[in-house]
Amino acid sequence: MARTRALSVTALSAVVALVASACGDGGEGRTLEVWIMEGTNPDATEYFEDIGEQFREETGVEVSVEFQPWADAHDQFVTAMAGDTMPDVAEVGTTWTPEFAAAGGLVDVTDRVGDTDHYVDGLVEAGQLDGRLYGVPWYAGVRSIVYRTDVFEELDLEEPEDWEELRDVAVTIAEEKEDMTAFPIAGGAMHQMTPFIWGNGGDIAVQEEGGTWTAGLDSAEAREGLSFYTDLALEDGTSTTGATTWLETDLQDNFIDGNVAMMISGSWTPAAILEGNEELEGNIGAFPVPGPDGGTSPSFLGGSHLSVMSGADDEDLAWTFIELLTSEENMQRWSEDTTYFPGTQEQLDPYTESDDPLVQPFAEQMSEAGTTVPVSENWGKIEGDQTLPTMLQAILDERSTVDEAAAAAAQDVEETLNEGS
Amino acid sequence: MGDPVATRPAASTAGRRPSRRGASLRARRRLLPWTLLLPALLVIGILLLYPLLRVVLLSFQDYDLSNVVSGESDYIGFGNYVQLLTDPYLWRVALPNTVVFAVFAVGGTVVFGTLVALLLRTLGRIARTTVISCIMLAWAMPAVSGTYVWVWIFDVDRGIVRQLLQAAGLVGPEGINWFTERLSFYAIVTLNIIHHGFPFVAVTVLAGLLTVPRELYEAALLDGATAWQRFWHVTVPTIRPVFAVVTILSTIWDFKVFAQVYLMPGGSGANPEVLNFGVWSYIRSFSRQEYGLGSAIAVMLTLMLLVITIVYLRSLFRDEELR
Repeated sequence: MARTRALSVTALSAVVALVASACGDGGEGRTLEVWIMEGTNPDATEYFEDIGEQFREETGVEVSVEFQPWADAHDQFVTAMAGDTMPDVAEVGTTWTPEFAAAGGLVDVTDRVGDTDHYVDGLVEAGQLDGRLYGVPWYAGVRSIVYRTDVFEELDLEEPEDWEELRDVAVTIAEEKEDMTAFPIAGGAMHQMTPFIWGNGGDIAVQEEGGTWTAGLDSAEAREGLSFYTDLALEDGTSTTGATTWLETDLQDNFIDGNVAMMISGSWTPAAILEGNEELEGNIGAFPVPGPDGGTSPSFLGGSHLSVMSGADDEDLAWTFIELLTSEENMQRWSEDTTYFPGTQEQLDPYTESDDPLVQPFAEQMSEAGTTVPVSENWGKIEGDQTLPTMLQAILDERSTVDEAAAAAAQDVEETLNEGS
Repeated sequence: MGDPVATRPAASTAGRRPSRRGASLRARRRLLPWTLLLPALLVIGILLLYPLLRVVLLSFQDYDLSNVVSGESDYIGFGNYVQLLTDPYLWRVALPNTVVFAVFAVGGTVVFGTLVALLLRTLGRIARTTVISCIMLAWAMPAVSGTYVWVWIFDVDRGIVRQLLQAAGLVGPEGINWFTERLSFYAIVTLNIIHHGFPFVAVTVLAGLLTVPRELYEAALLDGATAWQRFWHVTVPTIRPVFAVVTILSTIWDFKVFAQVYLMPGGSGANPEVLNFGVWSYIRSFSRQEYGLGSAIAVMLTLMLLVITIVYLRSLFRDEELR
């Protein structure tokens, strides 16, 4: 009995201590709560300890960073908004920014940011809702074609510069390398497909003057691009049957296993690929996704914004932290650590002249042909519904023709984007 | 905690006032079970009943991300249900995928489980222990790991099934993607569910089988009954309640299958042809943030299960009364 009481007294004092510390938030020794996404940087802890140190020196306020894995982050944000347990500052995925802003979770930072010209265009565009900015561009990544240089050398192939050449190269590999998939068309990977829609002059959807969205997936340009892309699998045999249900991760896993010769992959992936299979060291290269008649096809520019969350204790303080994170010096170190690209054009430019064969092509792709999905609070639903992978799988599985699948997807996209307006 | 201490003085004075003692004892006796149940009821209430109530309330609301943030409710009556019941997708895809699949999965699980139980009964002690240990492994495997194993077995390009079929000349070099067709997709899910579910049935039915008096079989044998007749006319009627329990439980489990569909290629939404009620509800709620509509799907699934369970239980109790 005595032991039980002793225990409960200890428990009680622990609770009191917790309550006391929770109350102490507003007074001396304040803490700024920050959420950073996990899975982008192997030693982010150390980086943020440094940042915290800098911030304490500048403002006298402690920083508490919580790392949220990307996969659960969306749910975490929603739960935090519902329970009013949001941090002060958070890293927000670019496609989520309009959605969270529309829900009232983010603070309008248009006036604080001021002139946005020096940021990478696609990132600014993605952070806006009704002409106001809710996220400061932080870093970005883009997808290009990653390939096996040893296979290209063995078969005496050049990096293709237009779609015709791309097809020829893929077909040659498919014919010559029995045990390899030349250029898999992954049915569950949306942003491997979009360059072929955008590259041919098509669009996912376009916003009209009045704010109404019109889907572009069923335009002649988009359908032609889709036909080229899916015919690589259906007519030219550069893919496999299994790839119809592959996700982006399956693409990468198979590349790491040495089963794939060419794939569309993110600028942040070469490091992970080499980590997965050291034998590929020196045997992989990259080139921007070519345009139909030369040039470059636009590829999805994904990345992160830094946002002040509504309900932040002190918005000025939160903003100071964002300014510190996006300062030139800290940005540069972050990019070097993570192999992501910085969100400002000025800092991006040196990368386009880099002599690293696994950096320069991506930087060129991003700088010249990085684009974004429709900037709408409803885009998250289209991603959640997997409207585009559904279309792609239906074509690859020959359940629908390109025209049927594109028409169905266009209708879904249009309905969803125009919801609530 | 104070109760047992307090009863002692009451008991010591009991001799003098028998009537009050009887009354207070009776009151105590009536209260005692509830007092003992209270902690469990509280836990169930907080963890189960409250969320259930919330889901029902949500199903009558138009509730999206902005409602989550503002906390405001927007009641729309039966709007979500009307939208669902008039959606051809429900009748063409989700309902058949849930019900037809459940019929096959429950049937398969109970039949296979019973066969294994019959086998187990004939085995000696050591063999029985070995087989039970092995099937327990299948039971103990988490649904997620089990599903990945089946996905690998059926991997379209390099899975063992593909290799065997190709070696047998049944599949050409281009292969077949069985994850894209509704029928083959659910055939794999059914295999997965039967594999995961039969140990429970086998062990439960075995327990039932061991209670059947041997004399019944001997009498049947004397009357010249075949093995099938002995099973159908002696075993089945005797352990019918056991079959009812495993069938009800399997039905409930198989109606609300989630991970085994969601984790299959295309099962998380990219192939709308293969969604069942559980996954459909999840995608509506959490991918599209239509929490009201998702809740309505969940409530409909619960109602369906309630009806099925009531029908089962009624037929079971009617049998009991007849006997």
